[in-house]
Amino acid sequence: MRLLLVEDDRLLADGLSGQLEKAGFSVDTTYTAREALILGEQEDYRVAVLDLGLPDGNGLDVLRKWRISHVSYPVLILTARGDWQDKVNGLKAGADDYLAKPFQTEELIARLNAIVRRSEGRVHSTVTAGRFELDENRQSLKLNDGTEHSLTGTEFRLLRCLMSRPGHVFSKEQLMEQLYNLNESPSDNVIEAYIRRLRKLVGNDTISTRRGQGYLFNDGV
Amino acid sequence: MTVFRKPASVKGALLALLLPAGIGLMALAWLVHGLLLDRMAREFVESRLQDEVAFLEHQIRDSDGKLDTLQTGDYFQDVFHHAFAIHSPSRTIISPKAWEPLLMPLVESDQDGTLRVHGSDIADAPSDILAYRQSFRVGDTPIVVIVSEDLGALKRSQSELHAWTAIVSILLILLLVSVIWLGINLSLRPVVTLKAALRRLQDGEISRIDVEAPEEFRPLVQQLNQLLDSLDQRLERSRDALANLSHSVKTPIAAVRQILEDEGRPLDNDLRHQMAVRLDDIDKQLDAEMRRSRFAGPQVGKSAYPLKQARDLLWMLGRLYPEKSFELSSPLAEESRWPIEEQDLNEILGNLLDNAGKWSSQCVELSLEQGNGVARIVVADDGPGVEKSEVANLGQRGLRLDQQMPGHGLGLAIVREIVTRYGGDISFMTGSSAGLRVVIEF
Repeated sequence: MRLLLVEDDRLLADGLSGQLEKAGFSVDTTYTAREALILGEQEDYRVAVLDLGLPDGNGLDVLRKWRISHVSYPVLILTARGDWQDKVNGLKAGADDYLAKPFQTEELIARLNAIVRRSEGRVHSTVTAGRFELDENRQSLKLNDGTEHSLTGTEFRLLRCLMSRPGHVFSKEQLMEQLYNLNESPSDNVIEAYIRRLRKLVGNDTISTRRGQGYLFNDGV
Repeated sequence: MTVFRKPASVKGALLALLLPAGIGLMALAWLVHGLLLDRMAREFVESRLQDEVAFLEHQIRDSDGKLDTLQTGDYFQDVFHHAFAIHSPSRTIISPKAWEPLLMPLVESDQDGTLRVHGSDIADAPSDILAYRQSFRVGDTPIVVIVSEDLGALKRSQSELHAWTAIVSILLILLLVSVIWLGINLSLRPVVTLKAALRRLQDGEISRIDVEAPEEFRPLVQQLNQLLDSLDQRLERSRDALANLSHSVKTPIAAVRQILEDEGRPLDNDLRHQMAVRLDDIDKQLDAEMRRSRFAGPQVGKSAYPLKQARDLLWMLGRLYPEKSFELSSPLAEESRWPIEEQDLNEILGNLLDNAGKWSSQCVELSLEQGNGVARIVVADDGPGVEKSEVANLGQRGLRLDQQMPGHGLGLAIVREIVTRYGGDISFMTGSSAGLRVVIEF
């Protein structure tokens, strides 16, 4: 399994690469952002480990550029800061997992195996309807003006359901099946609340109500 | 180019507004006074002329129209301050004689009532007069009576009066200015003491502002003192934290160095393990201190968008635990703000949700509510939950920081610490469908 390791501390990089090799990865190591950018785009890796603080650039920028040029293998980021905003930013930039330094090598290997397994059989799958594109891997909604909204679980499932057949009326009962809830018997109000929130994202006219029947997604708006 | 520059000081602003206003109003009063004086004088003179004509008419009627019998001597001099003319077909009396050229045309005209002559140029007679003419008959004799007044003299005394009024007005303005000046200075005196207090504060002579400030400035002084308090607290806290850290980090460093310097000693497995433990200690201390230093606590001018942050965290945890569902329910508007520092809220939500994500079997639900001035965060999961007897121990950190045991529960301890700093409440309960339910109220 080919692995790209981007880490500027040579002592750490050399130690890590040795242990990763032992765990069955074939490791390419680079110490700079510039080289990481080229290697990451040219070579076909199975997974990458990316340090965020590099001497010649920010790891997040490298990651964003990779994702823009459709580098799709999973990436685990290493960060020394580890506050929540940092983690959110990392995942938003396209990372699949993060690990705060210092870490145990076993933990790193376990996480790498997990994200590799998760990405297996994963294809770049999107649902497109009108101006909207739903990214299934990232669980996010892209608008045609380039903005991206992250969605919570049920929001995503509801929107995927509605967008899968634009113009088709889905009854509240059908939509209710998409709902995960701690309440055993979710009420109709819950669906209405979700629809209200989705309308804030996609616009009021995009999801219309058919009285007594249900909701439908207008892809023409 | 600006014609009028806004004055920079309160004093300047008050003066710029009050002074011109005072002067303008005084000038207006003076002008109105002039007009009224003029009108009053004329009306007064006119009615006196009329009275005197009536008096003469009465005299003439008493004497049956015989002008000769009228007493025109001293008596007239005493009673009449005005020039007059009495005319009958047989005789014409004009007093004083010098006014004759002036009054004769009026006698000969046949217009009764108030008459005005001005711009006449006759020696010994005034150029500007007001006259009242009345014609009547006594028996068959037509008689004309005219009484007139020298307007020039009247005007002269009038303008003298007006000038005096102007002088009094100016004096009043000066008085007004000094009263305004005094008022401004008196009411702004607290600002001066405040300024002095600030300077002494800067020089370190005092540590808090202790000034009897007027009501308008009290919130300002309070806010300043609060800021100073929180600055002090922060300084103290960071000093303590650094001292703690240094104490707990130096020892492991010394131990590891000791081992590395001893060239004769082989690095066997036991030694490696011990070194790793020491380094782990350092890391944990650093981590704990970093987290502590990140908590801002309640701060002026800091607020967070709870919905946006919750969304980001839920989304992220949804990516990290792809087989679990992270849900948000909240009646809050997208733009509503909570007076919590952004990172503090992130730390609360992140730790609670991460914890719930670890233990849940399928679903984690976050709800954010607000009402009656209370913000409520509820995180519920459908995991195994916690034994009732252990609930009380959740998030307790009974140990000193440098002896803090790592691992389980650190996240909750952090949450508890932040919540306490904001004066909030945290409670744990068993959820409706097993699982743990954490409720935080600010």
